[in-house]
Amino acid sequence: MIYFLERRFALLLLLPLCMLLLAFFLWPLGVVAWASIYDGGFTPRGYATVVGSGLIRQVAVNTLSISAWATLTSLILGYAIAIHLARLPARKRTPYLVLVMLPFWTSILVKSFAFTVALGTSGIVNQLLGWISGGAWHLEMMFNRIGVIIGMTNYLLPFMVLPIMASLLSQNPSLPLAAKIMGAGPVRIFLRITLPLSLPGVAAGVLMCLTLSLGMYITPALLGGRKDMMLANLIDFYTRQTLDWNVASAIAVALLAVSGVLMLLLTRFQRDRGISHA
Amino acid sequence: MRNMSSTVSTSIWRMLGRALAWLGYALLILPSLIIIPISFGGGQELAFPPKSFSLSLFVQFVNDPSWWGSALKSLVIASATTVLSLLIGLPAAYGLARGSFRGRRVIEACALAPMLVPVIVLGLGVYMHFSTLSLVDTMPGVVLAHTVLVLPFMLVAIGSGLRHTDIALETVARVMGASRLRIFFEVVLPQIKTSVLVGAMFAFLISFDEVVIAYFITGPGTETLPVKMYSAIRWEVSPVLAAVSTLLTILSLLFCLAVMALQPKDDANQ
Repeated sequence: MIYFLERRFALLLLLPLCMLLLAFFLWPLGVVAWASIYDGGFTPRGYATVVGSGLIRQVAVNTLSISAWATLTSLILGYAIAIHLARLPARKRTPYLVLVMLPFWTSILVKSFAFTVALGTSGIVNQLLGWISGGAWHLEMMFNRIGVIIGMTNYLLPFMVLPIMASLLSQNPSLPLAAKIMGAGPVRIFLRITLPLSLPGVAAGVLMCLTLSLGMYITPALLGGRKDMMLANLIDFYTRQTLDWNVASAIAVALLAVSGVLMLLLTRFQRDRGISHA
Repeated sequence: MRNMSSTVSTSIWRMLGRALAWLGYALLILPSLIIIPISFGGGQELAFPPKSFSLSLFVQFVNDPSWWGSALKSLVIASATTVLSLLIGLPAAYGLARGSFRGRRVIEACALAPMLVPVIVLGLGVYMHFSTLSLVDTMPGVVLAHTVLVLPFMLVAIGSGLRHTDIALETVARVMGASRLRIFFEVVLPQIKTSVLVGAMFAFLISFDEVVIAYFITGPGTETLPVKMYSAIRWEVSPVLAAVSTLLTILSLLFCLAVMALQPKDDANQ
């Protein structure tokens, strides 16, 4: 006899959860879907605006481009960090893991505020650049694309590092050893063994970061300029400034659909990984 | 000759990789590292490195009721969210782990989805939904919305704790005639108490730091600390922000270290 809960009892335990999800998660999402097609009467106006408006198209292009750049920088830095972490002995890894995890636990407002101080014209980064170059170098990083991408990379890095590190640590250590004995150099071992075997972790990290960055709101609002508005800021703009809930909801549904596809891909990857590991 | 050049190029690649890793670490730690010294600089101008040492920004924070008032509201909301999500999440995680019935996967997927749905979409939906329920600008409204948001983290934390428990113990207790309730409190709960603690800490800090949903559904009466900070960064860049940020960074550091210390060792290596 293995201990398990009868169906009725298990459902009873899950009842509060289901009620909460229904009332305050699924219902609000339903309200968004409804408001995207109903505005005093059924109307295609919301979606027509999404497709037709030059502003919305521009913001959508911004969002995709910023998300892609932020994900790419996170991938490059995140992979380097993951390799560094994976090659450390477990005991020495902890302090470095704190460096990776602390931003994950830090309020995005604290981080954004710190970046507004650090990246400004007389901020520490520009002071440092000026000091290195004797006053020749100066980089505008606030209220433009660079600021947004730096801020987002800082936010995304933990989500990139953890899955890649997990896939690096789960690799069989005798594979690179065998390749080394057969005479392969470190670069070749990396390109032919380590990198291909870590791709599931890379895919999980990339999908996670893309999903997160598409819905980013605070960072572009605080670190970006007017040209760096993202879809989330546009939803807020239509909700609060123009009070056009119909268009706001249509944009939200479109954003949700894109994120939904990415999430499905993510679960597909994780399921495949789960099976291949078992 | 060929060997030597390949060694050189290898070490260049190594150095490049290491440099990138350190650039990454620097980017990760930079915000926390610069905010703390600035907050002790005093003065109305935020400078790094600070020119003098002073606690005046912290004094300003404590003396300004709009700042500590919003901090207090955030504290109340985060505590209520933690309690409510424990009351809902603990039985739910147990039911999901030990029950087997049709629709289990659907419920699980729905319960984890708030973690992945863009917060802005949820914020918009909750805002429109709460407008019709007149829950906008009320504390219970914020607590309910935050509970939905933190539950996935709670379920994941407790679920991973439950996977490490020995189901045979529950079987034995059942055979010996213990009631379901007694089994849960005397056999299961002691085994998962660190996971429950980790879940509760996640719930508290996520709610305490949450800004997007709160920005939609709070008003003058319920302005939480993150919402206050958001408008302060946006409109005035008040130096008090540096003091608040330092306090929040210390809180985050404590939570981060505690969670890492509580994690079972075999988990960290997976």
